[in-house]
Amino acid sequence: MIRGVIIMNDQGKPRLVKFYEFQPVEKQQELVRSIYRSRRAENVSNFVKVDSLFGPDVRLVYKTFATLYFVFIFDNSENELAMLDLMQVFVETLDKCFSNVCELDVVFNFKKVHTILDEIILGGQVLETSSSEVVKAVEEISKMESNGNSIISSIPGWQGR
Amino acid sequence: MALSGMRGLSVFISDIRNCQNKEQERLRVDKELGNIRTRFKNEKASLFTLISNDWGLKEENAMPSKFSTLLSDRITLTSLVHVKGLSPYEKKKYVWKMLYIYMLGYDVDFGHMEAVSLISAPKYPEKQVGYIVTSCLLNENHDFLRLAINTVRNDIIGRNETFQCLALTLVGNIGGREFAESLAPDVQKLLISSSCRPLVRKKAALCLLRLFRKNPDVVNVDGWSDRMAQLLDERDMGVLTSSMSLLVALVSNNHEAYWSCLPKCVKILERLARNQDVPQEYTYYGIPSPWLQGKAEIYLRNFDFWHELGDTDSWCSREQREGVGLINRLNIKSLWWLLDHGCDIDALINLTLQVKTMRALQYFPTVEDPNTRRSLFEVLQRILMGTDVVKNVNKNNASHAVLFEALALVMHLDAEKEMMSQCVALLGKFIAVREPNIRYLGLENMTRMLMVTDVHDIIKRHQAQIITSLKDPDISIRRRALDLLYGMCDVSNAKDIVEELLQYLSSADFAMREELSLKAAILAEKFAPDLSWYVDVILQLIDKAGDFVSDDIWFRVVQFVTNNEDLQVTEAASLKAREYLDKPAIHETMVKVSAYILGEYSHLLARRPGCSPKEIFNIIHEKLPTVSSYRSKSGRYSATTRAVEYHALSMKGAALMDILAEMPKFPERQSSLIKKAEDSEADTAEQSAIKLRAQQQTSNALVLTDQRPANGTPPVSQLGLVKVPNMSNADQSTAEQGLTHANGALTVVDPQPPSTPSPDLLGDLLGPLAIEGPSGTAPPQSEPRVASGLEVGANEDALAIAPVEEQANTIQPIGDIAERFHALCLKDSGVLYEDPYIQIGIKAEWRAHHGRVVLFLGNKNIAPLGSVQALMLAPSHLKMELSLVPETIPPRAQVQCPLEVINLQPSRDLPVLDFSYKFGTHMVNVKLRLPAVLNKFLQPIMVSPEEFFPQWRSLSGPPLKLQEVVRGVRPMLLAEMANLFNSLRLIVCPGLDPNANNLVASTTFYSESTRAMLCLIRIETDPADRTQLRMTIASGDPALTFELKEFIKEQLVSIPVPSRPPAPMPPQARPTSPPSAALSDPGAILAGLL
Repeated sequence: MIRGVIIMNDQGKPRLVKFYEFQPVEKQQELVRSIYRSRRAENVSNFVKVDSLFGPDVRLVYKTFATLYFVFIFDNSENELAMLDLMQVFVETLDKCFSNVCELDVVFNFKKVHTILDEIILGGQVLETSSSEVVKAVEEISKMESNGNSIISSIPGWQGR
Repeated sequence: MALSGMRGLSVFISDIRNCQNKEQERLRVDKELGNIRTRFKNEKASLFTLISNDWGLKEENAMPSKFSTLLSDRITLTSLVHVKGLSPYEKKKYVWKMLYIYMLGYDVDFGHMEAVSLISAPKYPEKQVGYIVTSCLLNENHDFLRLAINTVRNDIIGRNETFQCLALTLVGNIGGREFAESLAPDVQKLLISSSCRPLVRKKAALCLLRLFRKNPDVVNVDGWSDRMAQLLDERDMGVLTSSMSLLVALVSNNHEAYWSCLPKCVKILERLARNQDVPQEYTYYGIPSPWLQGKAEIYLRNFDFWHELGDTDSWCSREQREGVGLINRLNIKSLWWLLDHGCDIDALINLTLQVKTMRALQYFPTVEDPNTRRSLFEVLQRILMGTDVVKNVNKNNASHAVLFEALALVMHLDAEKEMMSQCVALLGKFIAVREPNIRYLGLENMTRMLMVTDVHDIIKRHQAQIITSLKDPDISIRRRALDLLYGMCDVSNAKDIVEELLQYLSSADFAMREELSLKAAILAEKFAPDLSWYVDVILQLIDKAGDFVSDDIWFRVVQFVTNNEDLQVTEAASLKAREYLDKPAIHETMVKVSAYILGEYSHLLARRPGCSPKEIFNIIHEKLPTVSSYRSKSGRYSATTRAVEYHALSMKGAALMDILAEMPKFPERQSSLIKKAEDSEADTAEQSAIKLRAQQQTSNALVLTDQRPANGTPPVSQLGLVKVPNMSNADQSTAEQGLTHANGALTVVDPQPPSTPSPDLLGDLLGPLAIEGPSGTAPPQSEPRVASGLEVGANEDALAIAPVEEQANTIQPIGDIAERFHALCLKDSGVLYEDPYIQIGIKAEWRAHHGRVVLFLGNKNIAPLGSVQALMLAPSHLKMELSLVPETIPPRAQVQCPLEVINLQPSRDLPVLDFSYKFGTHMVNVKLRLPAVLNKFLQPIMVSPEEFFPQWRSLSGPPLKLQEVVRGVRPMLLAEMANLFNSLRLIVCPGLDPNANNLVASTTFYSESTRAMLCLIRIETDPADRTQLRMTIASGDPALTFELKEFIKEQLVSIPVPSRPPAPMPPQARPTSPPSAALSDPGAILAGLL
């Protein structure tokens, strides 16, 4: 299971923090800080064992993209390289959605980043690995957001109450 | 899009971004939270009015808990939304802001209701915000969530797919037990519904997984196992992938119920692998054609360009700049192939699904059906062979994920040896590639592979490569390599591996050395081909990483050498030990172990150059200060042991005639020893002591305490006393035999002398038995050092305990008062002062800022001491209360005077005890500093990096953090300094500073004004010049920081024992349990006393 996804910038400022197991806010920040501190040099493996933070068999994979630092935290039910690949899917999707994504996109559109992430990971499980599928879903949602008014009439579920 | 159109939110984010520091950010956040709170409060008021009107609630404070518990069943959130107040837009904006603030790390403890209520909003934008923010802010047990169950359920069973998706996402992320019980059937329906879009169904699968985890009963095994099997026929890759995740969870819980899914999994795998086969190396997955055709070509050209230049790295950074990580996922050839063939998306393969399927298969204990098993192995074979590791290895994560998963499955299935060896071969390639991730996983999987017994030999073929990995630039990889080497070591390769580890030890990072030395030691012991090799390895270990060789390890060496019967081995060990002693700087442990071995067996070397007992004795003495300056118990133990062993050596008589032959005067001396001992046998210890002192005035006596082993139980008052003529060979001193056991002869202050070894006590115990060398004769150095090991408090030239003028008119203190004081600064009990008439001992207990000190006033004489007076001169920062001191102390009695100490504030000032008494006509008055020093109010605390760094940073500069370059530091090794710090109750925290020349320590200081206060210390040393260092001290109190800095400086600069080189540091007691050796063993008795 994926325990959490964190995007932070190269100064350790969180840009997206999402845990799939509830963590109180102080704990979240502590984790963000310790993960930031455990950054490592280029040219080394991207996997870090983080038993001390999350318990046994939990590791994280990280990758730097320009000024942003992406981190997935996961346990031993996930394949490490598959996680690294999933991160790539996430980044590619961001890139497509914001066309050449940069840190500012993530900062000011953190809501959209949440939406995108929700299309890739659900409840700590891989939901979709094809970034085009994700983009499709996100575009659909964007459409809904801009003309939300027209939807209402087509919802029987909640008018019947 | 709609989100970016939210101006207020953008402005807020900009404001936060523009904040110069954390404080500004906090102010801005607080302002915003205040604003949102006010807005919501008004809203809540009207909401509450509405509800209480409806339901007759009166109490203002009934919300929210009562509200939720009372009403959750009866009220749906929909009615709340209609409350007038904030517009949906405003509400949405505030809730987003809350989420942003929450992400920044501020607790948002209100507004949850507003977020939850948005879930029931009629319009998509509000609803979406409600769902997203709720699933981030709330945990599954939150009361408000229960309010939302009905709304969520309505969204799930409704026909709006976008609403269904939102609801499933929320439940899948934070749904709890209650959700599981009320929603599972609906979610199951969605998952198997043929009319639903795959987008919804794949979410339903993962949502069901969550509900199953919360309550396994919600998935009915009987009904669902067939459904699950049907789901595996699904053609949509997304739904199939999600279903596979669900299957993994179900199977891991109950594999028998889902047995029917196993062949289906194998089928899926076959299908996928076959597809992969068809276009051979061109196959790749999930690449959308329009996007690919548009962009891929450009990137490919780029890649080829850089690739030709051999500069993929700069291409990668370029790629990162452009934000497209295409190359990470794509095989270049396959891209070209796809471009040429117009990209048939459907033929492409989902590698994630392959990984998941193989993971699911690992949860079935075995594959019994022979057909299924055969096809599974065929598929695995194809996967393992199908990927050209070397060619594709460049950052191809997904395909390697499949390979590693296949390896794991092969291991799980316990395949035939041939396949296993294939796997090992593959792993062997992995550990040699450039990509660090693959190397890392390769080593890790090889370690797992070790559990499969058959492959051990095949793994050994890669030993050289694994050893190379020990030098990998990546520490994680080095660690994995070490694990693997440790795991694969056996009798056949132990020699090579251990020797590699030893070689690596010198260059290994500090962080790894401990583990490395421990592993090397274990392997050496486990697989040692012969004993000399083992001893050799351990000695090398001590030499290279003495700090990490625990006492257990060297104890074992000694044990092996001692128990060993082969004299050649023993001789080799002794020779090695002797060789190490010639090194200019050797570790304390080396001194100990060498001293022990040589002490026992140096006679075997006696004919070699540089190995005469005299030379060995000298060289050990020369090294001894390293040990004693560590102030460790073991150090003293070894000093004594060595002395005892030398003695034992001398006692071997006939068997060692060759040694004796080299020391012609030895037998004569020995007899004189015995004679003297016999002479004094009748004396009481007390009298002997006095007699001895008297003798010492005229001749330099040399006495060694010991008990004749043959004596059996030690006679308590037996006393050994030897007079050594000046002209005798001084270096034979240790061979003297004294027959003494002075227990109880003098007042023993400490009730548990063995457990708190104190040189002062020892001095007392051995008082009458001073060991002394004639100062004028050749190598004079050695004897005083023996003396220093055994009796502390002697004067500079070790002229025994009592000063020469003792019997003169003034009363002289015995021992160095300053030295005693310094010793007491580091331990809690011992002698504070002693003269021929009185001994003042101290036993203290320090707890937080309180101290309880007991002064023991012992009259050593047979006449009473009169006019006893004790006056406490306390500094302003200490509150001290000394209980009444009796005016007379009866003969040979001891009185105890408790003294209460309270530390008010940090200070280095010291209390002084003004003590006077009268003996006969002598009026004696002494002013004694009491060791209520700053470090007594410290409580060691080990901090983790997580605790240390925030503190360190938050204490940003003077006056809370002070830095100073200290010169004229007493040169000491870092380990020595760490020991000193630890003894000062400043706990050295290893691993906090990456620079091995630096030292980071922490402690808590207690006083009434500061309470418990964390103090952090960093010392940066210069290995080239050990006389200077830079220290940085930080604490939350300026006075404390300053005082602590000065205190540490004093400890580092001054030499607490000024005059005597052999014992530069005050001895320090460590809380070690007393050895429980039989009392008849002289070595054990001495060790116990020490």
